[in-house]
Amino acid sequence: MSESRAKRSGAPDASKRAPLKFGDDPLLWAAWLYYEEGMTQSEIAATMGLSRPTVITYLSEARERGIVNISIAVDRLRSLSLAQQMVDHFGLRDCLVVPTEGGERSLIDRLGDAGARTLGWHLRPAQTVGIAWGRTMLAVAAAVPPQHLADLRVVQATGGTTAAIPYTPEAVATRLSEALSAQVVPISAPCIVSQPQVRDLLLQEPVLREQMQSLSELDMIVLGVSSLRPNSTIHTSGFFANALEQHDHYRDAVGSLVGRFIDAQGTPVIGPLDGRTIGLPLEALRQVRTRIGVSGGFDKVPALLAALRGGYINVLVTDADTAEGILRADGAEVQRQSLSRRPPSSPTPEPAPAVGTPAPPPFVKKLLNDPRAAVDEAMEGLLRAHPGHIARIDGSFRAIRRATPAPEGKVGLVIGGGAGHEPLFLGYVGPGLADAVAVGNIFAAPPPDRILACCRAASSGAGVLHVFGNYSGDVMNFEMAGELASAMGIEVRTVVTTDDIAYSPASDRDGRRGTAGNVFIFKIAGAACDRMLPLEDCERITQKANAATFTMSVGLTAGSLPETRRPSFELGADEIEIGVGIHGEPGVQRALMMSADDIADRIMDGLFSEAGLCPGSRIGLLVNALGGTPMMELGILNRRVHQRLAARGVEIVRTWLGPYCTSLDMDGASVSVIVLDEQLEDLLLAPCDGFAFRVG
Amino acid sequence: MASFENAGSGAMVRKVAAAVVENRAWLSEIDGKIGDGDHGNNMAKGFGRAAERISDGDTLDAAFATVTDVLMGEIGGSMGPLYGMFFSDMADVVAGKERIDAPTFAAMLAAGAEGVMAIGEARPGDKCLLDALCPAVTAAEENAAKGFPETLVAVRKAAEDGRDATVDMIAQIGRASRLGERSRGVQDAGATSCALILVTLADAIEARLS
Repeated sequence: MSESRAKRSGAPDASKRAPLKFGDDPLLWAAWLYYEEGMTQSEIAATMGLSRPTVITYLSEARERGIVNISIAVDRLRSLSLAQQMVDHFGLRDCLVVPTEGGERSLIDRLGDAGARTLGWHLRPAQTVGIAWGRTMLAVAAAVPPQHLADLRVVQATGGTTAAIPYTPEAVATRLSEALSAQVVPISAPCIVSQPQVRDLLLQEPVLREQMQSLSELDMIVLGVSSLRPNSTIHTSGFFANALEQHDHYRDAVGSLVGRFIDAQGTPVIGPLDGRTIGLPLEALRQVRTRIGVSGGFDKVPALLAALRGGYINVLVTDADTAEGILRADGAEVQRQSLSRRPPSSPTPEPAPAVGTPAPPPFVKKLLNDPRAAVDEAMEGLLRAHPGHIARIDGSFRAIRRATPAPEGKVGLVIGGGAGHEPLFLGYVGPGLADAVAVGNIFAAPPPDRILACCRAASSGAGVLHVFGNYSGDVMNFEMAGELASAMGIEVRTVVTTDDIAYSPASDRDGRRGTAGNVFIFKIAGAACDRMLPLEDCERITQKANAATFTMSVGLTAGSLPETRRPSFELGADEIEIGVGIHGEPGVQRALMMSADDIADRIMDGLFSEAGLCPGSRIGLLVNALGGTPMMELGILNRRVHQRLAARGVEIVRTWLGPYCTSLDMDGASVSVIVLDEQLEDLLLAPCDGFAFRVG
Repeated sequence: MASFENAGSGAMVRKVAAAVVENRAWLSEIDGKIGDGDHGNNMAKGFGRAAERISDGDTLDAAFATVTDVLMGEIGGSMGPLYGMFFSDMADVVAGKERIDAPTFAAMLAAGAEGVMAIGEARPGDKCLLDALCPAVTAAEENAAKGFPETLVAVRKAAEDGRDATVDMIAQIGRASRLGERSRGVQDAGATSCALILVTLADAIEARLS
């Protein structure tokens, strides 16, 4: 059941290519052997079990059909079944498997070609590329065709080794930088020094410090994986002073990468060399976005499997036998066609869709790379846009603090929740606002560890206030983080926001959800903390702000998740959802499309009945876009909202108009009011400076 | 009485993880009808990562603990803590056991269900994962004395029936609860993933017993 459904809904997306085996396409196989492997037509005929005239026909047809155009052929080669199985089994971003046997060229040279091509696919202008050393790395560097992407930088991944080998880190990095017309950053120190003290001294040198800084800025790294057999690179580069050293301390190690050692599970094996090694640490390696491992040969199976398990590689270039060995060693069932003796067959036609199955809606177009990396990439871009406001905690894209230090003795304010609501939550970090924000996956609460990191960053002795929307996931995760913080001696108080009036009747105020009104509540909480009030007062005032805040929203279209790129619920062309939530969940009531004024009236009637607005009431007003709705339409909506408030005699202290709390790309809007008393008005208008919210 | 060895159970948990990953699109599709449509993706992310860190030779409690670590430490959301506690409290029951028989299995499931109820506010009947889990616990407890094979058959059936029964329920918990009557007629995604986990686990145990 599930499989057929998965097929129906899992149509093509950017990260998945249709599987295709060499054996299914004899033209492609023949073309590869001829053009890539340099085999003669007779050799191909023998390999494929065909007559020579058939091979000639294949090759000419391959030319006619454009299969020998490298970019097309290679795209299809990437989808070899083994590569696809590797991608599925290890969750790789990409995998390229080359045939193990291939004419006269050595496996290392052919891996070099494939590695160079893979590097080319992933390389973009202005990137910083790290490269390790070794035979295969030199083959990669040598195979990269000259290209001229702007502002590339190549960084040597480790310090230097003995010059007795031709494939030293310097040689490899230099060769690659020349091919790419890139700036090269060497590491001007040995990879292994004699004493830990020497390393510590060297690392204080400004020149080396600057070079090591480049290593922490890698967008991509190309690395080999070394087995620990006697003549492997790791030995020939003089890593182990003596065999005893290896035996005693690295008994559990099965492989080495960037001069470090890992065991069969991919866990770092720490030995005496660690304190003496100068280069990219394994933890930092895992933080590099694109980690291209190029390595093949059957003896590499344990080392490669360990590297995959440890997550040190997310793009793999290897050969068919090695890939199969890795899959088998990891307990996967390998489906591999015999490539050489398969009779020519036409490609399998796509299965016809089941009768009566409605066609799925078209994919929504989005600015995306890898959908799975969408949140990290978005956070990185926002962090880069607003360095004066926000900064990472411990290098995380998901635990973010204010860029400027908070005054000592101030109550810390931590907010957070799922991603997909930007500029919520990180736009409300800064002086007079929150001190730290924990960011989850899309529409999913952040885990406790991350919230705890925020809490610790925000704590300066006066306690920490947690404020977040009332969703079961957020409540559970913040609660656990709060308990952990208490155990560390940080006093934590919590306010959950419940401004969404559409969710349930007023009698269930505490059960309601937090939506766009969060913005007002965060603002008031931030201002209270900024006044250096004690924790109990900050908590009480924030509770009061929550009780005074009311929101109602209308959705015109459903938003869509980056991973599915399909609308998250079905809405007819002439239908709208009244009281829609901010997670793509449908609203409480479906209605026919109506004019902007009618929508505004629907919302205002709801708010009037809840918020007790009467002549002389003073409010803050937020007319918020849910993600897709333009400012122009917000203006149209706001016009009527103001008319209704004026008719009621309500005084609007200030109006905020724009995308403040969104639901991905949903079209629609929400209106929030905060009913002000003297204290709340004073705090609402107090100066603050977040990138999405500034007063004064 | 039939039992299986605690050591070497990692492969079974990896099968469970593989089933979750395989069904990610289906789980998300069900979730999208009344939720936000990300259940399959988040579950697949968690179980996929956990599977990478589990060895076939792990004990059942070690493998469960790994699942908990990933769900609680990296996934978040509501399913992170709920399934995190489920697996962690199940691990506590089997930790240190040489072999696992049907009564131990029943006690393990019961502890898992209690863990879920302790951390969340949900109860059976709320249209949530407990609607698959609690009937499975009862079935295990009632059949444990008859031996493992019969227990597994009963657990599978109870989990699937419980899952199917969520179709007619009105959501009382989670984001779908805002829909009220409109949540009726759609199977619950949490109950679906829970039934999938229980059925796959039962299948894997059955294969090991024979």
